[in-house]
Parts: sequence; structure tokens; C-alpha cells
Amino acid sequence: MYYLAEAFPVVRRFRIPLSRDQSMLLTLAFNELLLGVETYVAHLISGTIVPYEWIPIIFGPVAAVLLMLAGFLAQRNRPLATIIANLVFTTSIIVGLLGAYFHAVRAIRPYAAPGERVSVSLLVWAPPVLGPLTFALVGILGISASWIEDPPDSGTLLFWRGRRLSLPYSKTRAYFFLVGMGSLATVISSVLDHARTDFSNPWLWVPTAIGVFATTVAIVLGALDKPIRADILTYFVAMLLMILVGVVGFILHIGEDLTVSGDIVLERFLRGAPPLAPMLFADIGLLGLIAMLDPVEQQEVERSD
Amino acid sequence: MSETQNSKGFSKALIIGLVVVILVLGAALIILAIGQSGAPVEAESVNALANSNDECVVCHERTTPGIIEQYGHSTMAAAEVSCRDCHEVEAGYPGSVEHEGAQVLASPTTAICEECHRPEVAQYNASRHSMPAYVAYAGTEDLTPEQMAIYEAIPEGSFVADKSRNAIAELEGPEMRRFTCEGCHNIGKPAEDESVGQCQKCHLRHSFSLEQARKPETCNHCHIGPDHPQWEIYQESPHGISYMTMGHEWDWEAEPGTLGVEEFPAPTCAVCHMSGFGSSGTTHDVGDRLTWFLFKPISDRRPSWQDNMVRMQGVCLECHNQNFLDDFYDAGDKATERVNEWVVESDEIMEPLKENNLLTSEPFDEPIDYTYFNLWHHWGRTAKFGVWMQGPDYSQWHGAYEVLHDLAELREMAEDKLTEAGLIGE
Repeated sequence: MYYLAEAFPVVRRFRIPLSRDQSMLLTLAFNELLLGVETYVAHLISGTIVPYEWIPIIFGPVAAVLLMLAGFLAQRNRPLATIIANLVFTTSIIVGLLGAYFHAVRAIRPYAAPGERVSVSLLVWAPPVLGPLTFALVGILGISASWIEDPPDSGTLLFWRGRRLSLPYSKTRAYFFLVGMGSLATVISSVLDHARTDFSNPWLWVPTAIGVFATTVAIVLGALDKPIRADILTYFVAMLLMILVGVVGFILHIGEDLTVSGDIVLERFLRGAPPLAPMLFADIGLLGLIAMLDPVEQQEVERSD
Repeated sequence: MSETQNSKGFSKALIIGLVVVILVLGAALIILAIGQSGAPVEAESVNALANSNDECVVCHERTTPGIIEQYGHSTMAAAEVSCRDCHEVEAGYPGSVEHEGAQVLASPTTAICEECHRPEVAQYNASRHSMPAYVAYAGTEDLTPEQMAIYEAIPEGSFVADKSRNAIAELEGPEMRRFTCEGCHNIGKPAEDESVGQCQKCHLRHSFSLEQARKPETCNHCHIGPDHPQWEIYQESPHGISYMTMGHEWDWEAEPGTLGVEEFPAPTCAVCHMSGFGSSGTTHDVGDRLTWFLFKPISDRRPSWQDNMVRMQGVCLECHNQNFLDDFYDAGDKATERVNEWVVESDEIMEPLKENNLLTSEPFDEPIDYTYFNLWHHWGRTAKFGVWMQGPDYSQWHGAYEVLHDLAELREMAEDKLTEAGLIGE
């Protein structure tokens, strides 16, 4: 189902030069680059980056370059491009899980007295446990996007030499589930960080509410066998709200990091409200919108023409 | 129902089930986090080593339980920095000793701290807390060429290649120095591994508490007393009054580099001189925001004093306006120069005595030596510190008044000596 066209029939008149999966892969490549940059800024908080903290910082840009190369290569040698992309995305999953482990370890006191080893407070003040999982989400989305679904919306992925894998949900509905999970991770991450400030600023409730809403709507849309137009429109609005929350949050974080007189002090940006963190909301919103694009691959469109 | 449909239905239920579990757990976490928000993690309330089976911890829990108790509550332990990470070194490391089959440093040097705190050590090495503090009492005679190079490289180090051991320190001898000069000035002592300094002078081991390092009482360990009574002056000042009456409400654990008036409505030693506050970034160079060498007998400007002033005023401007600061700095400069004039006058009084060999060659063996020394070292510096840190009683009665008193005494003592020598009439 071409969900965006179901919501807005007029879009059927326009042909986007990239297929949905190509758009997804391009966005994910850009994501890897930005994740590397954001991780560098975050790991600078103590002033000294220890060796294993460099893993995601180096991986992000390298992954972005490799994915772009795979994209160029896909026109001439799709199987090789798919192998490269899957290797990168699998590594991204590993990097994300490793990062989540390293962060989680800082929230746990394994040798403390029983009852004091884990607490919500420790999670609040530890490095963001769910932040690194963005690498993993990018990896899972990327693996999904790199394989052709044939027929479209069937849930059957086409591998080499005619081999197929039947999944219980179509790729589109899988995207919605993943967007929901990504939205959930984002809102939990934001709540844990904002909890440090006692939620004294009423603006902090906005990303919480929008994030929970977007999570629920994305999951529900993925679960529905036959969504009606209103369901799709609700999802579309939810993704737009996620983008809006991200952009507004970005501006508010920058405002918080400026001094009272509006001066820019780099240290405050490194150690204060992370400027790029709210953009994760916008990122999920964008990925959610991409999931609504036509699931038909470009080659099939050209064959049908 | 076909087998394919049956298997698809089963998988959907599993996926839906997993998704619901994740959603419910996520919602629970969100609710709990919001409910407990605002309560700062008392990370220090949790003993991260309570059940540790690390052999260092197990043994030292018996032999030195205080260390384990302190360290267990530290953020370093929470960050999984083990005893070995700081104390264990390779065989042959300068200053190391054998301990239970390993080579350890009893007191880790800044070279060890530098592995994780590189910028801090670099900034510290450029400051007067570094080599200049040590050289002030110990002189340069025992420094290696590498250590001399470190000393010389410090822009505000007042480098003197052949600086002798401080006369008072020499007079008192090593038996007393251990409990006197070394207690403070060893903050810049070179270690056997060629690194310089002792981070633990300010960051008391083994708690390594941010609150402790930030509180003025830490600086009080050394910046106190008749020759540099910054602690007493601070207590007298409006900033100090604010600290002593309201400081218990301040956010002592606030993230470094993000401090503002919400966390610290009034400044402490650290806020003015080191912390990232307002438009000034964090530094471990304690002279980075100072304009004068106030400690000197005759104060002169520090190198790049204009840049330093901008950095200091970046802190002040969080509460004060530029007019206030311009007026204050102008008045402070004039007062500093006034004290300089008095010290110059004392030099002029002493000059004929030196020229005519009317002083003994031994330092500090006659009353005039002490009067001459105290005039700038105790009272002159107290006056200057009192001016810049807003302690009027110290500027006046412990400062300017005592300077004038000693000037009068010095004149009389000098006249007596000159008269005794027949160089002036009675």
C-alpha cells in the first residue's frame, strides 16, 4: 500500500527520483554521519576521549562513506552493494549494542549492596543508555531497506538465486513497528535526561507527550491489517509533530546553552543541554514519513511503464 | 486453515506480544523517571564496592577500611576506575614499590591522572600551582633539566634560573619544612616520574568529591593566614557571607562547564578562578583570570592581563554590570599601585643600609629583617588581596595600617643604624 497516496491522492501525480528504500538508505547514511558527530561531541564531555569511546566516532563517518559508495555501486552490481550495506548495518547494530552496554554499566553498581545496584535515579544520571541504540536502529532499518520485497507489501524478501524469506509483516508495516520502537527509545531517552531538571520547565512535557503519541500511533498503524485514511493521516501528523518537536527542541537547547548575555561558550554546548539530541525526534519523524512512500521498487515501476 | 497462514498468525502474535511488553516496560520507566525526577542521584550514597571481590578491595577493607569506604562512594568507583588503574604501574616505574606481587605507586602522580584528565593536567602545568609553587620554597638547585624546562615554559612562572631555596625555609630546616612549607607548596612538587604536582591537594583522596573540591574550605588549606589571608578576606566579603549563609542550597554537583547563577547565586574561590561560569570556560590554571601578580613585593601586570581580565569579567558579568566592573578595576589598580609605592618606599629606606653594609649577611637574624619582610609579605599582600576580594577590614587594619606602621618602624630602625654608623647626625 502506498500509504502517503492513501492519505493524499494528489501525490500519485509526482514521481520521486528515488525509490522508498533508496530514500531510506540515503537518509540512514546521513544518519550514520550525524551519529558519529553527535557521539564525538557527547564523548568530549569529560575532555578526554578514552580509546573505546572512539569506536562510534570513527565508525559513523566511515559507515556513511561506505553506504554512499554502496549506493553508487548498486546501479552496476546490486549484490555487491547489498553485501557492503549489510556488513555496515550489521556492524552498526553491534556498535549500538556495545555502546548501550558500556553506558548501562555506568548506571549499574554490580558490587553495591543488594537493592542499591540499579535504580531509576542511577539511570537518570548515567550516560544515556538508549542513545547508542540509535546505531542499532539504523542498522535494522538499513538491513530491511537493502533487500527487495517481492511482491511489494508481501513480506517476502528476495535474496540471491531466487531464494526468498517470508516474514509475518510487510516491509512497510515492519518500518512502522521500527519507527514506533525508535520513537519509544527517543522519548525514554528524553525523559531520563529531562528528569535531571525536575521537569520544572513546562516545555519539557511536549516531547514527552508527542513522543508517546507517535510511538503509539506508529505501533498501531503497523498492527492494523486494513487502516483507514484517518489512521494514516493521524500517523502522518504524528510524524510531522515529531519533526517539529525536534526542531523546536534543538532551538531551545541552544538557547539554554548560550550565556545570559547570549555569548557562545563551546564548553557549555559540550556539557550542557546537548544541541543535537532533540534532532533524534526529527530523525524518527523523517524516517516515519519515508516509510509512507511507495513500496514499489524503481525497476518494477520501469518494467510496468 | 493452511500451514502458511497458521505460521504467519503465530508470528504476528509473538511480535505483537513482544511489542506490547516493550511498550509497557517503556511506559513504566517513563512514569518512574518522571516521578523521581529532580532528586539528584546521591551516587555517593551508594557504596559501589560493598560486595566487590577485587583483591585490593578485600584486603584493604581489613587494613584501611576508610579508604574503601571513601572510594566506594566516589564517582570514580561508579565509573569503574579500579584501584589498579591508578596505583599499578609497570616494573621499574620511577617511585614504584613492590606490593603483593605488583608494582604500585603509593601516591599516583599527575602522569597517572593525565591518562583520563588530559586538559586539566595541561592547564594545571601552565599555572602557578605547578612548578612555581614548589620553587618558591625549594629553589631550583635540585631540578633536572627537564623540570627546569617545565618551569621556564610557564608564562606566569616568574622564571629565575638560579633561584635559591627560600631563606626562611632554609632557616627552619627540613624537620619543620615537612610540616610547614611543604604542606602547601608541594602542590607543585616534581615527582620521580618527571611529572609535576599533586592533584590530591585539592581533590582529596579517596572521595574525589566534586563538592569538596568546589568548596572554599579546600582552598582554605593554604590560602589563609597573615601573608595571604584569602580565606579570611572571603569570609568577610559579601560573596563569602552569601556562601556561609546560603551555600547549603547551592548545586554543588552541577555539571562542570554549565554553571550559572542558578547553581551559584554568589561566587566561591572556584567559581571566580576556575569554574566554567558565565562566558568563561573551565580552567585548572588558577592565574588564567588574574591581572596582577599580587603576591610580589611590588606587583606588576601578568602577561596577557587584558585577556585574563576579560575572562574574569565573564564571571562577574553574570551579576554585575560593566560600569560597576570598570569602576572597580580602575579603583583596584590604583589601590595596588598605592601599596606598590609603600613597598618602594621601604626599599628606599633599606637601600643606604645595604650600600653601607649595615645589615648582617645572614637573612632573618635581626628585627629589621622581619619588619622589612613583613611589610610587603604580610601586610602589603593582605592590603592588596583585601582590595580585590572586598574585605575592607583586612585591606585596612590588617593591611594598609600595618604597612604604614611598619614603614614608621623601618624608618626609625634605619635611622638608628645610620646614626650608629655615624652616617647621619643624631
